Amino acid sequence: MITNNALAWVSGSDAPERSIVNLGFMPLTDSASLIVAATQGFAQPYGLTLHLHRQPSWSALRDNLLTGELDAAHSLYSMIYGLQLGLGGPSPTDMAVLMGLAQNGQSINLSAALAAEGINTAEALAQCIQQPTQPPLMLAHTLPTGTHALWLYYWLAAKGIHPLEDVTTAVVPPPLMVEHLRAGRIDGYCVGEPWGALAIEHGLGVTLATTQAIWPDHPEKVLACTREFAEQNPNTARALICALLEASRFIEESVENRRSTAQLISGSAYVNAPVTAIEPRMLGHYTNGLGEQWQDEHPLRFFHNGAVNMPYLSDGMWFMTQFRRWGLLRNDPDYLGIARQVQQLSLYAEAAERSGVQIPEQTMRSATLLDGRVWDGQDPAGYARSFPLHALADAMLHPLT
Amino acid sequence: MRILLIDDTPKKVGRLKAALLEAGFDVIEESGLTIDLPARIEAIRPDVILFDTQSPSRDVMDQVCLVTRDRPRPIVMFTDEHDPDVMRQAIQSGVSAYIVEGIHAQRLQPILDVAMARFETDQALRAQLQAREQQLAERKRIELAKGMLMKMRDCNEEQAYTLMRRQAMSKQQKLIQVAEQVISMNELLGL
Repeated sequence: MITNNALAWVSGSDAPERSIVNLGFMPLTDSASLIVAATQGFAQPYGLTLHLHRQPSWSALRDNLLTGELDAAHSLYSMIYGLQLGLGGPSPTDMAVLMGLAQNGQSINLSAALAAEGINTAEALAQCIQQPTQPPLMLAHTLPTGTHALWLYYWLAAKGIHPLEDVTTAVVPPPLMVEHLRAGRIDGYCVGEPWGALAIEHGLGVTLATTQAIWPDHPEKVLACTREFAEQNPNTARALICALLEASRFIEESVENRRSTAQLISGSAYVNAPVTAIEPRMLGHYTNGLGEQWQDEHPLRFFHNGAVNMPYLSDGMWFMTQFRRWGLLRNDPDYLGIARQVQQLSLYAEAAERSGVQIPEQTMRSATLLDGRVWDGQDPAGYARSFPLHALADAMLHPLT
Repeated sequence: MRILLIDDTPKKVGRLKAALLEAGFDVIEESGLTIDLPARIEAIRPDVILFDTQSPSRDVMDQVCLVTRDRPRPIVMFTDEHDPDVMRQAIQSGVSAYIVEGIHAQRLQPILDVAMARFETDQALRAQLQAREQQLAERKRIELAKGMLMKMRDCNEEQAYTLMRRQAMSKQQKLIQVAEQVISMNELLGL
Protein backbone atom coordinates (compact mmCIF):
# COMPACT_ATOMS: atom_id res chain seq x y z
CA MET A 1 0.00 0.00 0.00
CA ILE A 2 1.12 3.53 -0.61
CA THR A 3 -1.05 5.08 2.08
CA ASN A 4 1.74 6.27 4.35
CA ASN A 5 3.58 8.05 1.56
CA ALA A 6 0.34 9.55 0.40
CA LEU A 7 -0.40 11.05 3.80
CA ALA A 8 2.97 12.76 3.86
CA TRP A 9 2.20 14.05 0.41
CA VAL A 10 -1.12 15.57 1.43
CA SER A 11 0.45 17.69 4.13
CA GLY A 12 3.43 18.72 1.98
CA SER A 13 3.66 21.34 -0.72
CA ASP A 14 2.14 18.92 -3.23
CA ALA A 15 -1.17 19.06 -1.34
CA PRO A 16 -4.12 19.27 -3.73
CA GLU A 17 -5.52 22.77 -4.24
CA ARG A 18 -9.05 21.36 -3.88
CA SER A 19 -10.31 18.88 -1.36
CA ILE A 20 -13.57 18.24 -3.22
CA VAL A 21 -13.64 17.20 -6.87
CA ASN A 22 -16.95 17.03 -8.74
CA LEU A 23 -16.75 14.13 -11.18
CA GLY A 24 -19.22 13.54 -14.00
CA PHE A 25 -19.97 10.13 -15.42
CA MET A 26 -22.37 8.47 -17.82
CA PRO A 27 -24.16 5.29 -16.70
CA LEU A 28 -21.89 2.83 -18.50
CA THR A 29 -19.86 -0.19 -17.42
CA ASP A 30 -16.68 1.66 -18.36
CA SER A 31 -17.33 4.35 -15.72
CA ALA A 32 -16.52 1.72 -13.04
CA SER A 33 -13.11 3.07 -12.01
CA LEU A 34 -14.65 6.44 -11.06
CA ILE A 35 -17.38 4.78 -9.00
CA VAL A 36 -14.91 2.45 -7.29
CA ALA A 37 -12.45 5.27 -6.58
CA ALA A 38 -15.14 7.55 -5.13
CA THR A 39 -16.86 4.99 -2.92
CA GLN A 40 -14.03 2.66 -1.88
CA GLY A 41 -11.65 5.10 -0.26
CA PHE A 42 -9.08 5.45 -3.06
CA ALA A 43 -8.98 9.26 -3.01
CA GLN A 44 -8.94 10.08 0.73
CA PRO A 45 -5.26 9.18 1.11
CA TYR A 46 -4.54 11.90 -1.44
CA GLY A 47 -6.65 14.47 0.38
CA LEU A 48 -9.54 14.32 -2.09
CA THR A 49 -13.24 13.68 -1.68
CA LEU A 50 -14.81 12.67 -4.98
CA HIS A 51 -18.42 13.67 -5.56
CA LEU A 52 -20.01 11.63 -8.34
CA HIS A 53 -22.59 13.25 -10.63
CA ARG A 54 -24.43 11.00 -13.07
CA GLN A 55 -25.23 12.81 -16.31
CA PRO A 56 -28.30 12.29 -18.51
CA SER A 57 -26.51 12.65 -21.85
CA TRP A 58 -23.07 13.29 -23.31
CA SER A 59 -23.98 16.82 -24.31
CA ALA A 60 -25.14 17.58 -20.75
CA LEU A 61 -21.88 16.20 -19.42
CA ARG A 62 -19.93 18.28 -21.91
CA ASP A 63 -21.79 21.49 -21.00
CA ASN A 64 -21.34 20.89 -17.26
CA LEU A 65 -17.64 20.31 -17.78
CA LEU A 66 -17.28 23.59 -19.65
CA THR A 67 -19.28 25.67 -17.14
CA GLY A 68 -17.31 24.26 -14.19
CA GLU A 69 -20.27 22.43 -12.64
CA LEU A 70 -18.04 19.40 -13.10
CA ASP A 71 -14.31 19.59 -12.44
CA ALA A 72 -13.48 16.46 -14.43
CA ALA A 73 -15.42 13.73 -16.18
CA HIS A 74 -15.53 10.25 -17.65
CA SER A 75 -15.47 11.33 -21.30
CA LEU A 76 -15.65 10.00 -24.82
CA TYR A 77 -12.10 10.30 -26.14
CA SER A 78 -13.14 11.99 -29.36
CA MET A 79 -15.60 14.33 -27.63
CA ILE A 80 -12.66 16.00 -25.90
CA TYR A 81 -10.97 16.54 -29.28
CA GLY A 82 -14.24 17.83 -30.68
CA LEU A 83 -14.33 20.43 -27.89
CA GLN A 84 -10.69 21.34 -28.46
CA LEU A 85 -11.40 21.90 -32.16
CA GLY A 86 -14.78 23.59 -31.65
CA LEU A 87 -16.77 20.89 -33.49
CA GLY A 88 -20.47 20.42 -32.85
CA GLY A 89 -20.56 22.34 -29.61
CA PRO A 90 -19.62 25.70 -28.15
CA SER A 91 -16.58 27.64 -29.32
CA PRO A 92 -13.21 25.85 -29.16
CA THR A 93 -12.03 25.31 -25.58
CA ASP A 94 -8.59 24.13 -24.53
CA MET A 95 -9.06 20.67 -23.06
CA ALA A 96 -6.91 18.24 -21.11
CA VAL A 97 -6.87 14.44 -21.23
CA LEU A 98 -5.47 13.36 -17.86
CA MET A 99 -5.49 9.60 -18.45
CA GLY A 100 -7.18 6.75 -20.27
CA LEU A 101 -10.01 5.11 -18.30
CA ALA A 102 -11.05 2.24 -20.56
CA GLN A 103 -10.27 0.33 -23.75
CA ASN A 104 -12.65 -1.91 -25.76
CA GLY A 105 -16.11 -2.99 -24.62
CA GLN A 106 -18.51 -1.12 -26.93
CA SER A 107 -20.73 -2.90 -29.46
CA ILE A 108 -22.71 -2.49 -32.66
CA ASN A 109 -26.18 -3.97 -32.31
CA LEU A 110 -29.11 -4.58 -34.60
CA SER A 111 -32.75 -5.22 -33.80
CA ALA A 112 -33.79 -8.82 -33.24
CA ALA A 113 -36.52 -8.30 -35.84
CA LEU A 114 -33.99 -7.55 -38.59
CA ALA A 115 -31.85 -10.45 -37.42
CA ALA A 116 -34.87 -12.73 -37.73
CA GLU A 117 -35.21 -11.64 -41.37
CA GLY A 118 -31.70 -12.96 -41.94
CA ILE A 119 -29.82 -9.69 -41.48
CA ASN A 120 -27.39 -11.16 -39.00
CA THR A 121 -24.01 -10.46 -40.57
CA ALA A 122 -22.30 -7.35 -41.92
CA GLU A 123 -22.55 -8.82 -45.45
CA ALA A 124 -26.30 -9.40 -45.13
CA LEU A 125 -26.65 -5.85 -43.80
CA ALA A 126 -24.76 -4.45 -46.81
CA GLN A 127 -26.96 -6.47 -49.20
CA CYS A 128 -30.14 -5.34 -47.48
CA ILE A 129 -29.10 -1.69 -47.64
CA GLN A 130 -28.33 -1.90 -51.36
CA GLN A 131 -31.82 -3.07 -52.26
CA PRO A 132 -33.62 -0.15 -53.88
CA THR A 133 -36.91 -0.95 -52.13
CA GLN A 134 -35.32 -0.90 -48.67
CA PRO A 135 -35.95 2.38 -46.80
CA PRO A 136 -32.74 3.60 -45.16
CA LEU A 137 -32.01 2.00 -41.80
CA MET A 138 -31.91 4.26 -38.75
CA LEU A 139 -28.76 3.63 -36.76
CA ALA A 140 -28.04 5.45 -33.50
CA HIS A 141 -24.82 6.54 -31.86
CA THR A 142 -24.22 8.75 -28.83
CA LEU A 143 -22.80 12.09 -30.07
CA PRO A 144 -21.73 13.41 -33.50
CA THR A 145 -18.16 13.81 -32.25
CA GLY A 146 -18.33 10.71 -30.03
CA THR A 147 -16.41 7.47 -30.27
CA HIS A 148 -19.55 5.47 -31.05
CA ALA A 149 -20.25 7.50 -34.17
CA LEU A 150 -16.67 6.90 -35.29
CA TRP A 151 -16.69 3.15 -34.52
CA LEU A 152 -20.02 2.80 -36.34
CA TYR A 153 -18.76 4.79 -39.35
CA TYR A 154 -15.47 2.86 -39.44
CA TRP A 155 -17.18 -0.52 -39.29
CA LEU A 156 -19.87 0.29 -41.84
CA ALA A 157 -17.30 1.75 -44.26
CA ALA A 158 -15.02 -1.29 -43.84
CA LYS A 159 -18.03 -3.39 -44.89
CA GLY A 160 -18.67 -1.21 -47.96
CA ILE A 161 -21.55 0.79 -46.48
CA HIS A 162 -21.23 4.58 -46.62
CA PRO A 163 -22.31 5.76 -43.15
CA LEU A 164 -23.41 9.20 -44.35
CA GLU A 165 -25.12 8.16 -47.58
CA ASP A 166 -26.42 4.61 -47.22
CA VAL A 167 -27.97 4.82 -43.74
CA THR A 168 -29.60 7.45 -41.53
CA THR A 169 -27.99 8.16 -38.19
CA ALA A 170 -29.43 9.57 -34.97
CA VAL A 171 -28.11 10.56 -31.56
CA VAL A 172 -29.53 8.77 -28.50
CA PRO A 173 -28.20 8.86 -24.91
CA PRO A 174 -26.83 5.41 -23.95
CA PRO A 175 -29.41 4.43 -21.30
CA LEU A 176 -32.27 5.14 -23.74
CA MET A 177 -30.97 2.94 -26.58
CA VAL A 178 -32.87 -0.18 -25.53
CA GLU A 179 -36.17 1.72 -25.17
CA HIS A 180 -35.80 3.31 -28.61
CA LEU A 181 -35.03 -0.12 -30.08
CA ARG A 182 -38.08 -1.60 -28.34
CA ALA A 183 -40.26 1.19 -29.73
CA GLY A 184 -38.94 0.56 -33.23
CA ARG A 185 -37.63 4.11 -33.61
CA ILE A 186 -34.15 2.81 -34.40
CA ASP A 187 -32.94 -0.31 -36.23
CA GLY A 188 -29.63 -0.57 -34.45
CA TYR A 189 -26.97 1.29 -32.53
CA CYS A 190 -23.40 1.54 -31.40
CA VAL A 191 -23.02 2.10 -27.65
CA GLY A 192 -21.03 1.21 -24.53
CA GLU A 193 -22.08 -1.67 -22.32
CA PRO A 194 -24.32 -2.71 -20.65
CA TRP A 195 -26.73 -1.25 -23.22
CA GLY A 196 -25.84 -3.81 -25.91
CA ALA A 197 -25.98 -6.82 -23.59
CA LEU A 198 -29.28 -5.59 -22.11
CA ALA A 199 -31.00 -5.60 -25.53
CA ILE A 200 -29.92 -9.23 -25.96
CA GLU A 201 -31.14 -10.09 -22.44
CA HIS A 202 -34.57 -8.65 -23.38
CA GLY A 203 -34.61 -10.46 -26.71
CA LEU A 204 -34.73 -7.13 -28.56
CA GLY A 205 -31.32 -7.03 -30.20
CA VAL A 206 -28.26 -8.89 -31.39
CA THR A 207 -24.59 -7.88 -31.38
CA LEU A 208 -23.17 -7.79 -34.91
CA ALA A 209 -19.72 -6.56 -33.90
CA THR A 210 -17.74 -5.58 -30.86
CA THR A 211 -15.59 -2.49 -31.17
CA GLN A 212 -12.53 -4.51 -30.14
CA ALA A 213 -13.10 -6.43 -33.38
CA ILE A 214 -12.61 -3.10 -35.20
CA TRP A 215 -9.46 -2.20 -33.27
CA PRO A 216 -8.18 -4.58 -30.59
CA ASP A 217 -7.44 -2.52 -27.44
CA HIS A 218 -8.80 0.67 -28.94
CA PRO A 219 -8.83 3.87 -26.88
CA GLU A 220 -12.33 4.66 -25.60
CA LYS A 221 -12.97 6.69 -22.42
CA VAL A 222 -10.66 9.19 -20.81
CA LEU A 223 -10.60 11.27 -17.67
CA ALA A 224 -10.77 14.83 -18.95
CA CYS A 225 -11.05 18.39 -17.70
CA THR A 226 -10.54 21.83 -19.16
CA ARG A 227 -6.90 22.86 -19.62
CA GLU A 228 -7.63 25.75 -17.27
CA PHE A 229 -8.61 23.38 -14.47
CA ALA A 230 -5.47 21.26 -14.97
CA GLU A 231 -3.22 24.32 -15.04
CA GLN A 232 -4.78 25.92 -11.97
CA ASN A 233 -4.98 22.67 -10.00
CA PRO A 234 -2.04 20.51 -11.03
CA ASN A 235 -1.74 18.80 -7.64
CA THR A 236 -5.45 17.99 -7.62
CA ALA A 237 -5.18 16.60 -11.16
CA ARG A 238 -2.19 14.45 -10.19
CA ALA A 239 -3.93 13.18 -7.04
CA LEU A 240 -7.02 12.36 -9.09
CA ILE A 241 -4.96 10.35 -11.58
CA CYS A 242 -3.30 8.43 -8.70
CA ALA A 243 -6.65 7.57 -7.12
CA LEU A 244 -8.10 6.39 -10.44
CA LEU A 245 -5.00 4.39 -11.39
CA GLU A 246 -5.19 2.58 -8.06
CA ALA A 247 -8.93 1.93 -8.40
CA SER A 248 -8.36 0.63 -11.96
CA ARG A 249 -5.60 -1.69 -10.77
CA PHE A 250 -7.84 -2.93 -7.96
CA ILE A 251 -10.71 -3.77 -10.32
CA GLU A 252 -8.45 -5.98 -12.43
CA GLU A 253 -6.57 -7.59 -9.54
CA SER A 254 -8.87 -10.63 -9.42
CA VAL A 255 -12.06 -12.10 -10.83
CA GLU A 256 -13.66 -11.53 -7.41
CA ASN A 257 -12.85 -7.85 -7.59
CA ARG A 258 -14.37 -7.61 -11.08
CA ARG A 259 -17.51 -9.37 -9.87
CA SER A 260 -17.94 -7.12 -6.85
CA THR A 261 -17.28 -4.09 -9.08
CA ALA A 262 -20.13 -5.26 -11.32
CA GLN A 263 -22.36 -5.54 -8.23
CA LEU A 264 -21.45 -2.06 -7.07
CA ILE A 265 -21.96 -0.26 -10.37
CA SER A 266 -25.26 -1.98 -11.11
CA GLY A 267 -26.77 0.09 -8.25
CA SER A 268 -29.52 2.58 -9.00
CA ALA A 269 -27.24 5.52 -8.17
CA TYR A 270 -24.70 4.42 -10.78
CA VAL A 271 -25.31 2.43 -13.99
CA ASN A 272 -28.77 1.36 -12.81
CA ALA A 273 -28.95 -1.85 -14.84
CA PRO A 274 -29.22 -5.54 -13.90
CA VAL A 275 -25.92 -7.08 -12.89
CA THR A 276 -26.67 -9.92 -15.35
CA ALA A 277 -26.27 -7.41 -18.19
CA ILE A 278 -23.05 -5.96 -16.74
CA GLU A 279 -20.97 -8.80 -15.34
CA PRO A 280 -20.57 -11.31 -18.22
CA ARG A 281 -19.08 -8.89 -20.76
CA MET A 282 -16.97 -7.29 -18.01
CA LEU A 283 -15.43 -10.73 -17.56
CA GLY A 284 -15.07 -11.18 -21.34
CA HIS A 285 -17.94 -13.71 -21.61
CA TYR A 286 -19.81 -12.72 -24.76
CA THR A 287 -23.00 -14.04 -26.30
CA ASN A 288 -24.28 -12.24 -29.38
CA GLY A 289 -27.95 -13.18 -29.34
CA LEU A 290 -27.44 -15.25 -32.51
CA GLY A 291 -26.36 -18.40 -30.69
CA GLU A 292 -22.64 -17.65 -30.61
CA GLN A 293 -20.62 -17.51 -27.40
CA TRP A 294 -16.95 -16.74 -26.88
CA GLN A 295 -14.35 -15.65 -24.38
CA ASP A 296 -13.10 -12.34 -25.78
CA GLU A 297 -9.34 -11.82 -25.90
CA HIS A 298 -9.76 -8.02 -25.81
CA PRO A 299 -12.57 -7.36 -23.36
CA LEU A 300 -13.27 -4.07 -21.60
CA ARG A 301 -10.08 -3.10 -19.80
CA PHE A 302 -9.47 -0.55 -17.08
CA PHE A 303 -5.79 -1.04 -16.35
CA HIS A 304 -3.83 -3.83 -18.10
CA ASN A 305 -0.68 -2.88 -16.24
CA GLY A 306 -1.12 0.79 -17.11
CA ALA A 307 -1.36 0.25 -20.89
CA VAL A 308 -5.00 1.40 -20.78
CA ASN A 309 -4.23 4.57 -18.86
CA MET A 310 -1.30 6.01 -20.82
CA PRO A 311 -2.53 9.05 -22.81
CA TYR A 312 -0.78 8.04 -26.04
CA LEU A 313 -0.39 10.88 -28.53
CA SER A 314 -1.29 8.54 -31.39
CA ASP A 315 -4.62 7.68 -29.71
CA GLY A 316 -5.65 11.33 -29.58
CA MET A 317 -4.46 11.90 -33.15
CA TRP A 318 -6.49 8.98 -34.53
CA PHE A 319 -9.77 10.64 -33.59
CA MET A 320 -8.71 13.79 -35.45
CA THR A 321 -7.95 11.71 -38.58
CA GLN A 322 -11.51 10.38 -38.46
CA PHE A 323 -12.98 13.88 -38.02
CA ARG A 324 -11.02 14.80 -41.14
CA ARG A 325 -12.08 11.65 -42.99
CA TRP A 326 -15.77 12.27 -42.36
CA GLY A 327 -15.64 15.96 -43.16
CA LEU A 328 -16.11 17.38 -39.66
CA LEU A 329 -12.72 19.02 -40.12
CA ARG A 330 -12.39 20.85 -43.43
CA ASN A 331 -8.61 21.10 -43.21
CA ASP A 332 -5.84 19.05 -41.71
CA PRO A 333 -5.24 20.25 -38.15
CA ASP A 334 -1.79 20.21 -36.56
CA TYR A 335 -2.41 16.61 -35.48
CA LEU A 336 0.72 16.15 -33.41
CA GLY A 337 0.83 19.69 -32.01
CA ILE A 338 -2.77 19.53 -30.78
CA ALA A 339 -2.32 16.06 -29.29
CA ARG A 340 0.75 17.28 -27.41
CA GLN A 341 -1.31 20.08 -25.87
CA VAL A 342 -4.32 17.95 -24.97
CA GLN A 343 -2.65 14.76 -23.69
CA GLN A 344 -1.21 15.58 -20.25
CA LEU A 345 1.79 13.29 -20.55
CA SER A 346 3.89 14.83 -17.78
CA LEU A 347 1.06 15.00 -15.19
CA TYR A 348 0.26 11.40 -16.05
CA ALA A 349 3.88 10.25 -15.77
CA GLU A 350 4.33 11.92 -12.38
CA ALA A 351 1.13 10.35 -11.04
CA ALA A 352 1.91 6.92 -12.51
CA GLU A 353 5.34 6.96 -10.92
CA ARG A 354 3.85 7.87 -7.55
CA SER A 355 1.36 5.01 -7.81
CA GLY A 356 3.98 2.56 -9.00
CA VAL A 357 2.42 2.10 -12.43
CA GLN A 358 4.63 1.25 -15.39
CA ILE A 359 5.04 4.10 -17.89
CA PRO A 360 5.60 3.09 -21.54
CA GLU A 361 8.65 4.67 -23.16
CA GLN A 362 6.88 5.43 -26.43
CA THR A 363 4.20 8.08 -26.80
CA MET A 364 2.90 6.48 -30.01
CA ARG A 365 1.59 2.94 -30.46
CA SER A 366 0.83 0.88 -33.53
CA ALA A 367 -2.32 -1.10 -34.35
CA THR A 368 -3.85 -2.90 -37.32
CA LEU A 369 -7.55 -2.20 -37.70
CA LEU A 370 -10.17 -4.55 -39.18
CA ASP A 371 -9.72 -3.23 -42.74
CA GLY A 372 -6.02 -4.09 -42.58
CA ARG A 373 -4.86 -0.48 -42.30
CA VAL A 374 -2.05 0.23 -39.86
CA TRP A 375 -2.27 3.27 -37.59
CA ASP A 376 0.96 4.28 -35.91
CA GLY A 377 0.62 8.06 -35.75
CA GLN A 378 3.32 8.68 -38.34
CA ASP A 379 1.40 10.24 -41.26
CA PRO A 380 -1.97 11.41 -39.94
CA ALA A 381 -2.86 13.57 -42.97
CA GLY A 382 -2.06 10.75 -45.39
CA TYR A 383 -3.90 8.23 -43.23
CA ALA A 384 -7.02 10.43 -43.12
CA ARG A 385 -7.03 10.51 -46.96
CA SER A 386 -6.28 6.81 -47.43
CA PHE A 387 -9.81 5.44 -47.12
CA PRO A 388 -11.90 4.42 -50.16
CA LEU A 389 -15.09 5.49 -48.39
CA HIS A 390 -14.99 8.95 -46.85
CA ALA A 391 -16.63 12.36 -46.80
CA LEU A 392 -13.57 14.55 -47.07
CA ALA A 393 -14.69 18.16 -47.07
CA ASP A 394 -13.76 18.66 -50.74
CA ALA A 395 -15.93 15.65 -51.62
CA MET A 396 -18.96 16.40 -49.47
CA LEU A 397 -19.75 18.46 -46.41
CA HIS A 398 -21.21 16.45 -43.60
CA PRO A 399 -23.80 18.38 -41.62
CA LEU A 400 -23.05 18.19 -37.92
CA THR A 401 -26.11 16.26 -36.93
CA MET B 1 -31.52 41.20 -6.11
CA ARG B 2 -34.07 40.33 -3.44
CA ILE B 3 -33.44 41.70 0.01
CA LEU B 4 -35.15 40.62 3.21
CA LEU B 5 -35.15 43.60 5.53
CA ILE B 6 -35.71 42.66 9.14
CA ASP B 7 -37.39 45.66 10.61
CA ASP B 8 -37.60 45.96 14.32
CA THR B 9 -35.97 49.37 14.76
CA PRO B 10 -38.32 51.57 12.75
CA LYS B 11 -36.40 54.83 13.04
CA LYS B 12 -33.61 53.64 10.73
CA VAL B 13 -35.42 51.22 8.52
CA GLY B 14 -37.65 53.89 7.08
CA ARG B 15 -34.69 55.63 5.45
CA LEU B 16 -32.81 52.48 4.55
CA LYS B 17 -35.82 50.92 2.88
CA ALA B 18 -36.35 54.03 0.80
CA ALA B 19 -32.70 54.03 -0.20
CA LEU B 20 -32.82 50.37 -1.18
CA LEU B 21 -35.96 50.85 -3.26
CA GLU B 22 -34.41 53.89 -4.91
CA ALA B 23 -31.39 51.77 -5.81
CA GLY B 24 -33.72 49.35 -7.57
CA PHE B 25 -33.71 46.45 -5.13
CA ASP B 26 -36.60 44.14 -4.52
CA VAL B 27 -37.21 44.73 -0.80
CA ILE B 28 -39.32 42.52 1.39
CA GLU B 29 -39.93 43.89 4.82
CA GLU B 30 -40.43 41.80 7.92
CA SER B 31 -41.63 43.45 11.06
CA GLY B 32 -40.31 42.48 14.47
CA LEU B 33 -42.14 39.17 14.71
CA THR B 34 -39.25 36.80 14.22
CA ILE B 35 -41.02 33.74 15.49
CA ASP B 36 -41.63 32.34 12.01
CA LEU B 37 -38.51 33.81 10.46
CA PRO B 38 -37.06 30.47 9.35
CA ALA B 39 -40.22 29.64 7.42
CA ARG B 40 -40.34 33.15 5.94
CA ILE B 41 -36.76 32.93 4.74
CA GLU B 42 -37.49 29.55 3.19
CA ALA B 43 -40.54 30.97 1.42
CA ILE B 44 -38.99 34.26 0.29
CA ARG B 45 -35.53 32.95 -0.57
CA PRO B 46 -33.81 36.28 -0.32
CA ASP B 47 -30.39 36.91 -1.87
CA VAL B 48 -29.35 38.96 1.14
CA ILE B 49 -30.71 39.28 4.66
CA LEU B 50 -30.38 42.77 6.14
CA PHE B 51 -30.83 43.61 9.79
CA ASP B 52 -29.86 46.16 12.42
CA THR B 53 -27.18 45.78 15.09
CA GLN B 54 -29.57 47.39 17.53
CA SER B 55 -32.21 44.81 16.76
CA PRO B 56 -33.91 43.93 20.07
CA SER B 57 -31.65 40.99 20.48
CA ARG B 58 -28.67 39.59 18.72
CA ASP B 59 -30.51 36.30 18.94
CA VAL B 60 -32.21 37.20 15.70
CA MET B 61 -28.97 36.92 13.84
CA ASP B 62 -27.94 33.77 15.67
CA GLN B 63 -31.25 32.23 14.84
CA VAL B 64 -30.98 33.22 11.21
CA CYS B 65 -27.47 31.78 10.98
CA LEU B 66 -28.65 28.58 12.57
CA VAL B 67 -31.82 28.01 10.63
CA THR B 68 -30.22 28.81 7.29
CA ARG B 69 -27.27 26.54 8.01
CA ASP B 70 -28.23 24.12 5.26
CA ARG B 71 -29.02 26.83 2.77
CA PRO B 72 -27.12 29.82 4.07
CA ARG B 73 -27.58 33.41 2.86
CA PRO B 74 -25.30 36.39 3.11
CA ILE B 75 -26.23 38.52 6.10
CA VAL B 76 -25.62 42.25 6.05
CA MET B 77 -25.93 44.42 9.12
CA PHE B 78 -26.76 48.08 9.18
CA THR B 79 -25.49 50.13 12.04
CA ASP B 80 -24.63 53.55 13.30
CA GLU B 81 -21.86 52.17 15.45
CA HIS B 82 -18.33 52.90 14.45
CA ASP B 83 -16.70 50.59 16.92
CA PRO B 84 -14.43 48.31 14.85
CA ASP B 85 -14.49 45.64 17.58
CA VAL B 86 -18.24 45.25 17.33
CA MET B 87 -17.93 44.89 13.57
CA ARG B 88 -15.10 42.38 13.85
CA GLN B 89 -17.18 40.34 16.25
CA ALA B 90 -20.17 40.47 13.97
CA ILE B 91 -18.16 39.36 10.97
CA GLN B 92 -16.69 36.46 12.94
CA SER B 93 -20.18 35.31 13.82
CA GLY B 94 -21.31 35.11 10.19
CA VAL B 95 -22.13 38.63 8.99
CA SER B 96 -20.80 39.23 5.49
CA ALA B 97 -20.72 43.04 5.48
CA TYR B 98 -22.24 46.03 7.16
CA ILE B 99 -23.76 49.29 6.10
CA VAL B 100 -23.17 52.41 8.13
CA GLU B 101 -26.36 54.28 8.66
CA GLY B 102 -27.03 57.23 6.43
CA ILE B 103 -25.25 55.83 3.43
CA HIS B 104 -26.28 56.95 -0.04
CA ALA B 105 -28.35 54.68 -2.20
CA GLN B 106 -25.78 54.50 -4.99
CA ARG B 107 -23.21 53.06 -2.60
CA LEU B 108 -25.42 50.13 -1.57
CA GLN B 109 -24.88 48.04 -4.67
CA PRO B 110 -21.09 47.67 -4.30
CA ILE B 111 -21.45 46.89 -0.60
CA LEU B 112 -24.01 44.20 -1.27
CA ASP B 113 -21.90 42.84 -4.14
CA VAL B 114 -18.91 42.57 -1.82
CA ALA B 115 -21.08 40.90 0.82
CA MET B 116 -22.28 38.31 -1.65
CA ALA B 117 -18.85 37.64 -3.12
CA ARG B 118 -17.31 37.30 0.32
CA PHE B 119 -20.14 35.05 1.37
CA GLU B 120 -19.65 32.75 -1.61
CA THR B 121 -15.91 32.49 -1.00
CA ASP B 122 -16.52 31.75 2.66
CA GLN B 123 -19.00 29.05 1.78
CA ALA B 124 -16.63 27.39 -0.66
CA LEU B 125 -13.75 27.50 1.83
CA ARG B 126 -15.94 26.14 4.59
CA ALA B 127 -17.07 23.25 2.39
CA GLN B 128 -13.46 22.45 1.46
CA LEU B 129 -12.41 22.52 5.12
CA GLN B 130 -15.32 20.34 6.14
CA ALA B 131 -14.42 17.86 3.40
CA ARG B 132 -10.82 17.76 4.58
CA GLU B 133 -11.84 17.14 8.19
CA GLN B 134 -14.25 14.44 7.14
CA GLN B 135 -11.57 12.78 5.00
CA LEU B 136 -9.22 12.62 7.96
CA ALA B 137 -11.93 11.31 10.26
CA GLU B 138 -12.96 8.66 7.73
CA ARG B 139 -9.37 7.63 7.12
CA LYS B 140 -8.87 7.13 10.85
CA ARG B 141 -11.98 4.93 11.12
CA ILE B 142 -10.95 2.91 8.05
CA GLU B 143 -7.45 2.45 9.47
CA LEU B 144 -8.93 1.31 12.79
CA ALA B 145 -11.21 -1.20 11.07
CA LYS B 146 -8.34 -2.41 8.91
CA GLY B 147 -6.21 -3.07 12.01
CA MET B 148 -9.07 -5.02 13.64
CA LEU B 149 -9.63 -7.08 10.52
CA MET B 150 -5.91 -7.87 10.22
CA LYS B 151 -6.03 -9.36 13.73
CA MET B 152 -9.33 -11.17 13.23
CA ARG B 153 -8.40 -12.68 9.88
CA ASP B 154 -4.65 -12.86 10.44
CA CYS B 155 -4.00 -11.12 7.15
CA ASN B 156 -1.86 -8.26 5.89
CA GLU B 157 -2.84 -4.66 5.31
CA GLU B 158 -3.60 -4.98 1.63
CA GLN B 159 -5.68 -8.14 2.12
CA ALA B 160 -7.68 -6.40 4.85
CA TYR B 161 -8.44 -3.47 2.53
CA THR B 162 -9.45 -5.84 -0.27
CA LEU B 163 -11.76 -7.80 2.06
CA MET B 164 -13.51 -4.63 3.22
CA ARG B 165 -13.80 -3.22 -0.30
CA ARG B 166 -15.21 -6.43 -1.76
CA GLN B 167 -17.78 -6.58 1.02
CA ALA B 168 -18.71 -2.91 0.46
CA MET B 169 -18.96 -3.25 -3.31
CA SER B 170 -21.05 -6.42 -3.19
CA LYS B 171 -23.55 -4.56 -1.01
CA GLN B 172 -23.34 -1.31 -2.97
CA GLN B 173 -21.94 0.46 0.05
CA LYS B 174 -19.05 2.79 0.69
CA LEU B 175 -15.85 1.58 2.29
CA ILE B 176 -16.50 3.76 5.34
CA GLN B 177 -19.83 2.01 5.96
CA VAL B 178 -18.18 -1.40 6.05
CA ALA B 179 -15.39 -0.03 8.25
CA GLU B 180 -18.02 1.13 10.76
CA GLN B 181 -19.65 -2.31 10.66
CA VAL B 182 -16.29 -3.96 11.37
CA ILE B 183 -15.72 -1.63 14.31
CA SER B 184 -19.21 -2.27 15.73
CA MET B 185 -18.83 -6.00 15.37
CA ASN B 186 -15.45 -5.86 17.03
CA GLU B 187 -16.89 -3.94 19.96
CA LEU B 188 -19.87 -6.27 20.20
CA LEU B 189 -17.67 -9.34 20.34
CA GLY B 190 -15.26 -7.62 22.73
CA LEU B 191 -12.28 -8.61 20.63
